[in-house]
Amino acid sequence: MTQQISPMPERKLTRDEVIALKNKRTLVTVFQISWIMVFVCLAVVAIQIRGTSGPLPALNAIQVIVPLGATLALLGSVWTAWQSLKAIQADQRARFFVFWRYTLVLGGAFILVMLAVMAFNPYGDLLQYSQIFRVMVVYHALHALVIGAWMVQVYRNAAQGAYGSSDAWGVEAGAKLWYFVVIAWVLFYAVLYVF
Amino acid sequence: MNLPKLGNTQKQGGGGFPVVWIVIGGLIVIVGGYLISLVTPSILPRAGSAQAVLIDDLFRFMLFIGGGVFVLVEGLLLVSVIRFRHRKGDRADGPPIQGNTTLEFVWTVIPAIVVTVIAIYAFVVWQQIETVPPNSQQVGALGQRYAWSFSYEANSETLPPDVNMDAVPEDVVTRISSEEGLTFTSPQLHTWVNQPVNVSMETDDVNHAFWIPGMRIKQDLLAGRVTSIAFTPIEAGVYRIVCAELCGGGHGNMAGIVTPSGELSGAWLIVHPDEETYLREFYYPELEKILYPPTDPALLGRQVIQNYPCSGCHILDDLGWVGVTGPTLNGIASRSARLTASGYSDMADYLHASIRNPGEYLVPGYNNLMIQFNADPAQPNYMSDADLDAIVAYLLTQTQ
Amino acid sequence: MATISAPLPGIQVSEEGKLRIGDYLKWSVDHKIIGVQYAVTALFFFIIGGALAMAIRWELLTPALDVAADGTAYNQFFTMHGTVMIFLWIIPMMAGFGNYLVPLMLGAKDMAFPWLNAFAFWLIPPAGVLMILGYFAGQAQAGWTAYPPLSTMFSDGDGQTMWAIAIHLLGASSILGALNFIVTIRNMRPEGMGYFQMPLFVWAMLATSIIIVMATPFLAGGLTLLILDRVAGTAFFNPAQGGDVLLWQNVFWFYSHPAVYIMVLPGFGMLSEVLSVHARKNVFGYRAIALSSMAIALVGFTVWAHHMFTSLTPSLRIPFMVTSMIIAVPTGIKIFSWIGTIWGGKIRFNSAMLFGLGFLSMFVIGGISGVMLAAVPFDLHVHDTYFVVSHFHFVLYGGSVLAIYAGIYHWWPKVTGTLLNESMGKWHFWLTYVSFFFTFFPMHLLGMLGMPRRVAVYAPEFQTLNSIVSFASFVLGISTFILLYNMVYSLIKRKQAGPNPWRALTLEWATSSPPPAHNFHGDPVPYKNPYGYGTEAAYRYLEAQEAELGKSWPNLEEEPARALKPSSSPAGD
Repeated sequence: MTQQISPMPERKLTRDEVIALKNKRTLVTVFQISWIMVFVCLAVVAIQIRGTSGPLPALNAIQVIVPLGATLALLGSVWTAWQSLKAIQADQRARFFVFWRYTLVLGGAFILVMLAVMAFNPYGDLLQYSQIFRVMVVYHALHALVIGAWMVQVYRNAAQGAYGSSDAWGVEAGAKLWYFVVIAWVLFYAVLYVF
Repeated sequence: MNLPKLGNTQKQGGGGFPVVWIVIGGLIVIVGGYLISLVTPSILPRAGSAQAVLIDDLFRFMLFIGGGVFVLVEGLLLVSVIRFRHRKGDRADGPPIQGNTTLEFVWTVIPAIVVTVIAIYAFVVWQQIETVPPNSQQVGALGQRYAWSFSYEANSETLPPDVNMDAVPEDVVTRISSEEGLTFTSPQLHTWVNQPVNVSMETDDVNHAFWIPGMRIKQDLLAGRVTSIAFTPIEAGVYRIVCAELCGGGHGNMAGIVTPSGELSGAWLIVHPDEETYLREFYYPELEKILYPPTDPALLGRQVIQNYPCSGCHILDDLGWVGVTGPTLNGIASRSARLTASGYSDMADYLHASIRNPGEYLVPGYNNLMIQFNADPAQPNYMSDADLDAIVAYLLTQTQ
Repeated sequence: MATISAPLPGIQVSEEGKLRIGDYLKWSVDHKIIGVQYAVTALFFFIIGGALAMAIRWELLTPALDVAADGTAYNQFFTMHGTVMIFLWIIPMMAGFGNYLVPLMLGAKDMAFPWLNAFAFWLIPPAGVLMILGYFAGQAQAGWTAYPPLSTMFSDGDGQTMWAIAIHLLGASSILGALNFIVTIRNMRPEGMGYFQMPLFVWAMLATSIIIVMATPFLAGGLTLLILDRVAGTAFFNPAQGGDVLLWQNVFWFYSHPAVYIMVLPGFGMLSEVLSVHARKNVFGYRAIALSSMAIALVGFTVWAHHMFTSLTPSLRIPFMVTSMIIAVPTGIKIFSWIGTIWGGKIRFNSAMLFGLGFLSMFVIGGISGVMLAAVPFDLHVHDTYFVVSHFHFVLYGGSVLAIYAGIYHWWPKVTGTLLNESMGKWHFWLTYVSFFFTFFPMHLLGMLGMPRRVAVYAPEFQTLNSIVSFASFVLGISTFILLYNMVYSLIKRKQAGPNPWRALTLEWATSSPPPAHNFHGDPVPYKNPYGYGTEAAYRYLEAQEAELGKSWPNLEEEPARALKPSSSPAGD
């Protein structure tokens, strides 16, 4: 990026600000531990339904490769999000923009691909299982979209010159919540495609 | 301001307690628990099954322990509030005791041991009552909002000894001599003393729970599943059957009822003294109703209507029904105002339509809650045309 | 200088002068105002839930159906009674106490996230209104447990859907509040206060919040599926299309059993405070009480299926019996530790203490019947009967509600700066205590003798016991109004309490009553042991506190010299 506006001047955080930052970090961590339980709940329900609805239909190559590719893209976005967070914390703004864009593209691609997979639901013959499959994908996509919207906002804020090494919380929150989206999906992917 | 006296010298907390008090307290707790457990027989219905005897013994044991805990805790509380009440003019605080590891260890370990003992005892009882004896009488139970029906099997082996096969209609002969035999239903569950019964349950609508308080057994009926429970009655008599899982507005009506004239209506368990009485008083007469169906359609209808779950929602004095979810059936044949309102010209047509399609016309003040009885055997809630005709004929006799 | 980190425009609390009623009706980020907002909202719904209970008991005066229009109307009564009491009375009331007290007890200026705190509260009124409005759309009638298929295919009205959405909102509110508590307790303790120097109420709120954040999401998941079944035509719980009705029971109870501890653990915490302060004695076995809360929270996640002993696959019943029995051990530790606390103390029989002792004596009955219910064979007989109704009212009324009453009498002087009238408080206690016992104890017998729960009509032989229960419950209902009258009376009469009328050591008393907007004048220094009564150091600490903050109304009636003097710091400075 050609942004040359200097970010916030280097300064030491006050005690209140240190506590506030610590509070926000704790909040995000506890929230993640808490809210992942909804995904655990749906995963358990899916396993239960699969147990009662008989054998799943065999998936063809496309039905296996497409979600796998989307998942790999999502996993890649963890790395890019992490890189951009490190970049902003080191005040490397150009590097931040590059990796944040990658994250947005990979995440967006994942959401679109998975919504398409859901539209061509491979489990149409199994009533409850196809329904829980849809619910899980849509439920996950809702979280991905909301958090993704925040990440787009972070991008726009950054383009206006926001964030810097002493004030990276917005980026950090976006990245950490995106990790949450990834972990939630890995859980779902394991239940829906692996085990 | 004077500094209140500190360093309380009084020996307090469990540590400094004389042994004699511990012994006396222990005795009070044990005797108290025992005395409380003596009330067991008066707060439980008469134990009518082998399972009930085991469960009551378990309860008596738990009441003994629980009564002891109750006496201990309430006793300590009472002693505390009397002995350690604040007295006028006393400005001191209590002694700065922070705890006592020995005491805390004791009141962690003893409850742990007590609940372990209860759990083991309960497990032993559970193993005994869970076993289904091999020679059980198999009975089917169907729960429907808001009535029970129990089904019994009959085949050519179980016919009454003096059966006159010439008088039996041909289709009944075919069914009874077929492999699976025929099934007949009754709103009551009949068995006899010392005969284990295995009830296998299904529901046509929501979840229900099959409970016989006198037998101490309960099992939920789960929509979409078959569940079962077994028990062995040990005493002849009648025992109320109750629905214990919320099933809708008439939930409370889904139980055995004593009519004002003293008759049993609705769901009851009837334990006959022996198999012979069971056959003579219940099984053969019920079977004969099918073997020799009455020729009068109204009498036939009076029989077959009791195979359907109508009693849970309707009042009908002739059969002792007291349900209030639906409109009364007393004097139904005289309610010509319904004809005008529903657009039928003939009472029989109106009654037919009200059973086949109950939502078509609703009596003012009542909701569309009645089961729709279908003519197609593949559909749930099947009612044959023959049954329907007989029921309508019977209802037409209900004039005011 | 109520500097809340990142204050938003227009949400600053008025710092000058006294708080007016209007301040409590507006959006505010002050934890004390939010705490009062929670409590007043909860009390409002308590009255609604209580009125429904009166309707239920009126119906059950006679064996026949005579008060409710039909059985369905009766089912709506108890469905709403249960839902309102659980989700709109006890849980928000406990959240109210937590909101008011946790930051004060930690010597903090506010919760970690004041805005989030206010947002969590403001989810409750719309949810409550939505739930009540269900009345006009065919009120929910499937019980607070909402078992399908009764709650799905057999409940036509939209009230059931509105019920589910309202519970969803209340669950979200509960989670947001709990997140806030966890962050506050973890990060905002003052210098010198480690986890094991925290007041036990804070420990209880921590355990409660951990349960909420881990269990409530399951309710969210289950409700999502239930709502989809009702409005989007899915068939997760529809047996006619292969759905599974037990699935709901498992998911629901995985939340709703821990929810019992969500309702009662804060009560345990309040009891530890009240007993220690009014017996003037150190809490006996502080660590055991603190850690047993955590043990209950943990083991509480493994016991849910004991609510399903008559529907669960028989082979799975015994493991859940064992875990359910284990939970009796940490509960027993608490009860014995509380007795150890008052043993040897100087017990003041004021209203707060009376309710505390009442809690202890009644809760133990609920504990005993709980162990009995955990035994599978006995549960086969009493499951879904009035025995269960009796058990959970002993736990939730004898436990949570009596604890709430104790808490109200104990902290009212702090919240309002005025004292509640003691003789009215004693009337309230004795009427409540006696009528409570006669309302709920005979229900054990009804259940064992054969009366199922949730019925509008019953066998005539149960009428005598039911009449006793009903008449006692009417007295219980009336006794509540003594408290409400006492509250209004004390606000009008304004008998000044002063900063620390009970001479308690916890930090919420180390400030004026009511506390100023920023809670403390300077940074408060906690006493090293929040319950260190009976030591000279504690006495000196309280003396120094009094010198700094001014005198309080004494709890010793015989000292008229110090009574009735207004506190030096005006209310709400």
